Amino acid sequence: MTTPLLEVRRLSKTFPGLRALDDVSLTVGAHEVVALVGHNGSGKSTLVKILAGVHAPDPGSEVIVHDAGGTAAGEHAQRERLHFIHQDLGLIPRLSTIENLDLNRSLGRSALAPVRGRREARHAERLLERFGARFDVHAPIARLTAAERTLVAIARALDGWSGPRNVLILDEPTAALHGDEAGRLFDAVRRLAADGAGIVFVSHRLDEVVELADRAVVLRDGRVAADVARGAFDHDALVRLIAGRELEPADVPASRRAGEPILSARGLAGPTLAGVDLDLHAGEVVGVTGIVGSGREQVSGMLFGALPRTAGEVHVAARPLTAAAPRAAIARGVAYVPADRRREGAVMRMSARENLTLPRLAPLRRRLGRLDGRAERAEARRWTEEVGVRPAEPERKLELFSGGNQQKVVLAKWLRIRPRVLLLDEPTQGVDVGAKDGIYRLIRGAAADGAAVLVSSSETKELASLCDRVLVLRDGRVVAEVAREQLSEARLVRETLGGREDDGGRQPGYTDGRDR
Amino acid sequence: MIDQREIAAEPPARTPAPPLSGPAERPRGAARTLGRSLAFRNVSALYVFAVILVVFSLWVPDTFLAWTTWKTLLDNQAVAAMTAIALVLPLAAGVFDLAVGLEVGLGSMLAAWLLVDQGVPVGAAIPLAVLAGALVGTVNGLLVVKARIDSFIATLGVSSILAALISWISGGEQILGVPASFARVGTGELLGVTYPVWFLLVVALTLWYVLERTPVGRRVYATGGNLDAARLAGVRTPLVIVGCLAACGAVAAFGGVLVTSRLANGDPTIGPGYMLPAFTAAFLGSTQFRGGRFNVWGTVVAVYVLAAGVKGLQLAGAPVWIPDLFNGTALLIAVAMAKHQGSAGRASAIRRLLRLDRGVSSAAAAKGAS
Repeated sequence: MTTPLLEVRRLSKTFPGLRALDDVSLTVGAHEVVALVGHNGSGKSTLVKILAGVHAPDPGSEVIVHDAGGTAAGEHAQRERLHFIHQDLGLIPRLSTIENLDLNRSLGRSALAPVRGRREARHAERLLERFGARFDVHAPIARLTAAERTLVAIARALDGWSGPRNVLILDEPTAALHGDEAGRLFDAVRRLAADGAGIVFVSHRLDEVVELADRAVVLRDGRVAADVARGAFDHDALVRLIAGRELEPADVPASRRAGEPILSARGLAGPTLAGVDLDLHAGEVVGVTGIVGSGREQVSGMLFGALPRTAGEVHVAARPLTAAAPRAAIARGVAYVPADRRREGAVMRMSARENLTLPRLAPLRRRLGRLDGRAERAEARRWTEEVGVRPAEPERKLELFSGGNQQKVVLAKWLRIRPRVLLLDEPTQGVDVGAKDGIYRLIRGAAADGAAVLVSSSETKELASLCDRVLVLRDGRVVAEVAREQLSEARLVRETLGGREDDGGRQPGYTDGRDR
Repeated sequence: MIDQREIAAEPPARTPAPPLSGPAERPRGAARTLGRSLAFRNVSALYVFAVILVVFSLWVPDTFLAWTTWKTLLDNQAVAAMTAIALVLPLAAGVFDLAVGLEVGLGSMLAAWLLVDQGVPVGAAIPLAVLAGALVGTVNGLLVVKARIDSFIATLGVSSILAALISWISGGEQILGVPASFARVGTGELLGVTYPVWFLLVVALTLWYVLERTPVGRRVYATGGNLDAARLAGVRTPLVIVGCLAACGAVAAFGGVLVTSRLANGDPTIGPGYMLPAFTAAFLGSTQFRGGRFNVWGTVVAVYVLAAGVKGLQLAGAPVWIPDLFNGTALLIAVAMAKHQGSAGRASAIRRLLRLDRGVSSAAAAKGAS
């Protein structure tokens, strides 16, 4: 066998309180497409970040980029020969393809030389032709399709290749692509591999992995669970490897759902949702999950009206809820904690107190429209105690709190309005481990107080321990509903990845609840 | 202006029971609080003011300490201060109003035109001019929230249109012959201080109350702090933005009315000169008192500290180019110092307004739809 391009040996990475990677070894050879698969938290992204130099691995770990002769090529080569395409592509939307390609080039002495437009355009077109792509290289990136953008990003990475022996690492490149668009991307990837490059392909979409990969490396809990060659794996085998052993369902009191749903949605549709029905009852915690691009990200925002919907109806307490009107939703007792706390969840530069009271200031209003400062401060102090914000200083600016404490403030501001429906999007994203339990307690507490709670999350572990039932989305539709009694992390992982029917036969009790 | 009614059917806000052990109210470190609020970085303008006072009292005691000097100073800067605090409203809501100078000009010119050319009585001319300012502000606001034009561009365009309007109604010439009863509005005195200073005090108190002491003000700051988060918390952000720009227009136009009254004629050229000093004072003011937030008293203090410094320099015989140099340097030093001290969010109001990714909301909308 020829020398591999990239070799990872005994790679470990420890974060405080978490072993993200544990003794991981893998190789990538020339002409080879290696798929890196594993569920959320399996260590995939940590591995990619270590390769990209974002994190330093633990001592004793080795990342080696080999020269043709088999010698290690050094750290410089690691930067030079490993090329990354991240999910957000890193293109500047307002600039054209030509200009985006140009940004890659070092300037040197030609910094002020006139741009040679026609030559650059031809160069860009030639690069793209390698992938069989033809589109207007003068058009701004924002006007290209998702697949075309991905190709531009790959072309840009390619354009920077100064020598042979390159490795291209694609991180979830197809999350934003439709089926036929992904096909074009695969053609491009195959051409690159045929030219001698090594490809690392990170994806949740197992059908794509089966179609494209020469080898699949499965990560689970930070370890290599399997390293299998093409032909030795199929879709179902991968699902089993990723999901791992069946664990006992967590011991959480069963749902107390009763009567009519408080919130019910029918045919909810939007950019990534293709008709979702769901009902939320008082006192239950319902989970929503799915892989990146499954539509999971948009469910709660669309229910609340933070995102516009193209079709479908939402009823709260049997009365229709206007689309795209957060204010109307709040007035009906619907609260929404968005995933992006910094951008949408809170006003980071205001104090915790001001954030806490923002959704409902009316009870604090006195004569002449005066805001009762004393009452407000007292209330803010009580709420920071209630939800356990540390430090318990409501006058502090929110941005000065840790992520977990910020999230507690955001939760408190919604609990304060006594929501009938509480919609949470990735409630523990960017939250330190210690604060997670506190947030779970608050969520269960809200349900115990009679709220209908929806938790949309990519963390199956979280959902398995928190929810009364979980809806699984794939391609914008609900494909499974897993009830409390059958809820486990492995089950959820299988459902999100699209396990085949034979699973159900082998594992009794898994067939009911599927495909409503 | 901003409707504060809540839906009546809402359940009352939930209040957790006070903790079982310990008093709900903790003794507060009063000394610490006082110390913090008197810290140099929070009230540097007041210290600078003290320095100016001492230096010029020693340097040019005869003129600098005379009451007439201060009376003139207060009077001369009243309109500038009023324009600056008008500007605080849109800035607090996260939008620019580059038309603020020409809103002053419009108020000034309309008052003269209504009184002289149209023979409108004083009691009607003043409200009409103020109303016109509010109307212009409303147009600004609608351009921002409905037509989705960046406020910087929208108000720049409106500013130019206002310049044309002023030229048109004035024919490019001063309007003379303002009635004497009107001239008294801007020149009369009460308790030894001219009316414009009292008007300034009333307007400043009103705006301070609204911004700092009412739910409306809270929503204004929330809108300016994070448009998306405010909207998702149920704040009617478009209404806040339109309201702030309209109020800014009204107050600026009232300032213009006072200018005409003080000059006893309508001058078509006075508007633009009010814009830059207003921005200077508002930005400088944002470094004072409220930890990086645009605020009314910080802005008023900024106007008068700068004016006192300039006045002292003039009395001491400094050349004519000194005032501009002094103002510019003071702004840069104040903002740089606020940034340097690094307390998060200090000078942030400015940074947020000037950041490149203005119009985050439209980008977010586009992202959501893609």
